Amino acid sequence: MSPLRAKAPRSREKRLDTLGAWFGKVSVASKEFAGDEIAQRIRTFAQSSNDDLLYALRILSGIRNSVTIIHGPRGCAAAGLYHTAIGSNTRWIVTDLDERDTIMGADIKLRKSILALYHRYHPSVVFIVGNPVIAINNDDIQSVVEELHEELELPIVPVYVTGFSSQNAVSGYDTALHSLLKYLSGNTSTATKNETLNLLSVAEHPLDRKEAVDLLDIFGHELIIIPDDSAIDVFKSAVAAKASILLSPDAPEYLGVILQEKYDVPLIDVSRPVGVEGTGRWLKSIGAFLGKENVANELHTRKAAETARQIGGFSLKGLKVYISLSSANAFSVLDLVEELGGEVTGLTITHLDRLHIRQLDELTIRTPSLQIHVSDGQAFEEISILRKLLPDLYLGDSTHLGQVARLGIPVVSLESLAFVGYSGVVRLVRRIKSALANGSYELSLAKVNSPYQEAWFRRSHNWHIKQEVK
Amino acid sequence: MSHHLEKSRNSCALHGALQLFEAIDAVVPVIHSTSGCGVQHYLGVTRLSGGNDTFGSPPVSSSNITQKHVVFGGGSRLREQLKNTVKVVQGDLYAIVTGCSTEMVGDDIPAMAREGRDQDWPVIFANTPGFSGDVHQGYHLAVKALIEQLPDIVKTQEVIPAGLVNIWGIIPNQDPFWRGNLQELGRLLEGVGLIPNLLLGRDQSIASWKQVPGAVLNLVISPWGKLPAQLLEERYTIPSITLDGLPVGTSASILLRRLTEQLELDPIRTEKFITREESLLNYQLARLADTYYRAGFQREFALVGESAQVIGIGEFLVKSFGMLPGTLVITDNPPESIREEVAGRLATILPGYDTVVIFSEDQSEITDVVRAGDPGLILGSSLEQEVAVELGVPFLALSFPLFDRIVLERAYAGYRGAATLLEDMGSAILSCSNYINEAS
Repeated sequence: MSPLRAKAPRSREKRLDTLGAWFGKVSVASKEFAGDEIAQRIRTFAQSSNDDLLYALRILSGIRNSVTIIHGPRGCAAAGLYHTAIGSNTRWIVTDLDERDTIMGADIKLRKSILALYHRYHPSVVFIVGNPVIAINNDDIQSVVEELHEELELPIVPVYVTGFSSQNAVSGYDTALHSLLKYLSGNTSTATKNETLNLLSVAEHPLDRKEAVDLLDIFGHELIIIPDDSAIDVFKSAVAAKASILLSPDAPEYLGVILQEKYDVPLIDVSRPVGVEGTGRWLKSIGAFLGKENVANELHTRKAAETARQIGGFSLKGLKVYISLSSANAFSVLDLVEELGGEVTGLTITHLDRLHIRQLDELTIRTPSLQIHVSDGQAFEEISILRKLLPDLYLGDSTHLGQVARLGIPVVSLESLAFVGYSGVVRLVRRIKSALANGSYELSLAKVNSPYQEAWFRRSHNWHIKQEVK
Repeated sequence: MSHHLEKSRNSCALHGALQLFEAIDAVVPVIHSTSGCGVQHYLGVTRLSGGNDTFGSPPVSSSNITQKHVVFGGGSRLREQLKNTVKVVQGDLYAIVTGCSTEMVGDDIPAMAREGRDQDWPVIFANTPGFSGDVHQGYHLAVKALIEQLPDIVKTQEVIPAGLVNIWGIIPNQDPFWRGNLQELGRLLEGVGLIPNLLLGRDQSIASWKQVPGAVLNLVISPWGKLPAQLLEERYTIPSITLDGLPVGTSASILLRRLTEQLELDPIRTEKFITREESLLNYQLARLADTYYRAGFQREFALVGESAQVIGIGEFLVKSFGMLPGTLVITDNPPESIREEVAGRLATILPGYDTVVIFSEDQSEITDVVRAGDPGLILGSSLEQEVAVELGVPFLALSFPLFDRIVLERAYAGYRGAATLLEDMGSAILSCSNYINEAS
C-alpha cells in the first residue's frame, strides 16, 4: 500500500517512539532506545510548547505563490502574522470560525473562501490547514478539496494537523510533507531518473540553504531545493532525481524516506553539515555516493583551512557550554563546540527518537554521564537544570532565552542565526565572541525577579515527569 | 456568517485574555488548551507589539491537552496543572483561561476553579475559546472575570484613596503604546488632583484591582472600556466618562475640564495645568514650523488602527497640525451599535473634506482602500509598510502589529504623546527619500 494513502502519516510517537519529555544520562537514553518498548512520558506541570500546526505553518510559509487557509478560529492563524513579520510572502487567511460553525460545521464557509481567494490571487496552490476545532468537529474538508480541485483545476492541499494528536511538534513537519507529496507529486510512482539532486531543506535559514547550495555546486549536479522557498513544481521534479540529500537528518527525514520508498529516489545517509568536521563528513558522504570523494576531500581541505584562518585560533577551551536546540541541531552543535575545544555540560533537545540512536550510542562511548533533557518550551525545567550546572555559555533557540540570561549566563540565540557549513562556523564564532566579551546585559537582567517559586528548584529536575499509563 | 480574514490583526479571545492577565503583576494565567495556543499568542501577538512581556517568554503555565483529554475530558489534567502551577509559579492570583478544544470537549471550568478555591488558592476563570471572538472580546471576558470573581477571593479591605479613577479600554499589546499611554493618562489625572488607577503595567497588581470598586469614576478610553464601566456602574454605581478616542494634544484639555466639572475639582488648578501643558505643546509646534513648510509636511494621510487611535491621533493631526484626512481605517471591529456614530464623526473630522472611513481587519481590503486613496503619508501597522513602499510615501508604524519598532515607554496619548507623535511622524517624512518631490 502506498505510504501516502492515509490522510496523514502516523505520529512521530508511533513511527519512531519519539519522546517529548525525558531527563537523564545519555547512557541511560541509549540503553532505553536499544530496547523494543519505549514508555511515553507525560508532564504534570507544563508550559506552552509548539504543536504540529505551528510546525506545519513553518513549512507552508516557504511555498511560493501559495495561499494558506487556516480553517479554524482566528487565533490559530496568529503565527501566520509572525511569519509575515519575518519575511514570508505566503498569503495567510483564517476562516474565522465562530461558535455556530463549531456546532454546524463550516464547509460552506471554506468553499466560499477558496473560491474568493482563487479569483483574487490566482495562486498556484491553496493549502487548507487543520486545527483542534476542525479535528474535534471532524469537518469534511476532503469533499470540499476534491470538488473544488476539479472545478478550478487548482491544486488544493489539505494538511491534517490537529494540535493534539501528537505530543511532538515535529510530527507537523511530517504531516505537511505527507500532504505536499501526496497532492503535488503526481501519480507516477517511478519516474525516469535524471542527474538532478534533491536538497531536502525544511524551515532552514536562507543563508544556510545558500551555504549548502554553494558547497554542493562542486559536484556539478543540478539541485532541486525542496520544500523551502520552492514553487510547487519541485514536488513533481523531485521524484525523478538521482538522489536526495538531507540538510538536516531530522526535520525533512519523512520527505526523504517517502521519496525513497515510494519513488525509488535514494536517500544519502548524512549527518547535519554543522562545524568544520561535520560539514566535511556531510560533503564526503555525498561525494562517496556520487563517486566523487576526491572532489569532496579537496573542497573540505581548502574550506577547513580557510575557516581556520577566519576564526583565527578562537577556542572554547576551559568553557562549559549548554546547548538547547531542536534535536538535529543540538547534536551537531555539540560536535562543533567540542571541535572548538569547549566542554558540553548538558543538552536540551526538543524530542528524542529512533533517529537519534547513533548519536546517543556515540555519546555514550565518549561522555556517558552527559545529561540529556528532552523538552520543547519548558523553561522551568531548563532553568532548574541550568541553576545547578551554571555553564559559561548557553547556545539556544527557544523563546525563553531571557529567562536563561537572568541567571547571568552569556546567551547566544541560534533562532535566526545561520550556522550551517563553514561560513556558519565563522558566523557562530563571531556571536560567541561577542557574548563572552561583555556579559553586562545578563547582569542587568539578573536584577529582575524570576517568575518561579524558589523552593521548587530544590526538587529533582523531573519530579513532574511521569511514565504514561496506557 | 463572517467572511474569511487575511492577515487578521485581532487574534482571538484567549489571546486577548492572556494580554490582560499578563499585564498585571503576579497574575499567572493558566491556559487550559492544546500546547500551541500559548506559543501562537507569543509569536503572533506579544512578539509583534514593539517588545516583549515581562517574562520574556510565552505564558508560564499551560495544560497542553492531548488526544486522550479530547476524548475523555481534560478536567483531571487541569486539576493537576493548577495544583502544580500554584506550587511552581509565584503569583497572587491564578487565572484559568480556556481554548477552543477544552470548551468543545465541555470541561467544567467553574468547578475546577471552585475546587482550587476550596484549597485556598486564589483562582479565577474565564471561558475564552478563540471561536467566541477576537482579542477585544478576550479583554472583556478577562476584565469581567476579575470584576466579578475577585471580591470572593481577596476579602481584605484596601484603603481607597480619595479621587481614584479607573482607566478602561486600553488593551495591552493590541495598543503597542499601552504602557506609555497609561502613564501619560495617569499624569494628566494627577495634574488635576486625581489618583489614577492604571490597573495594567508595572507595579499594577491585584491590590490595584481590589481598589476598583472604590473609585469615584471610570474613565473609558475606547469602545472596549464600556463594558467594564457598565458592570461597575451596575454593581457599585460608579459613574463614567466615556471617550471614543485617545485624548491626544488639546483634546486632553477637553477631558480635564469634563473631569473637573463632573467631579467638582478645583477649576483654577485645572486651568493652570492645562495652560502649562498647552503652552509647552504650542511651543513645540512652533519649533517645527520651518521644517513643516520646507519639507511639505501638510499632506493627505491614511491612518490605519484601532478606533481609539484613529479618532485620537486623527483628530489631533487634523485639528492642530493641518493634516488632511484622506483614508481612515478602523481595524478593531467596534460594535455595530456605535459604528454609524464613529463613522459620522470621522467623516466630518475636517468639514467639507472628502474623507473615506472604513471598518476592516482584512489586509487585502485595507491595502486596496489605502492604495486607492493615494495618500502622501501612511500611518498604520507594520503591515501597511508594504503599500507605503509601493506608493513611495513616508510611513510611520503605530498600530498593531508593530514588528519593526521597539516600544518601552513611548506614548502618543496626552500632551507629551502629541509631541512624541510629531517627532516620529516628522522624522518619517524627512527620512523618506522622496519627500522633496512630495513637497514640490
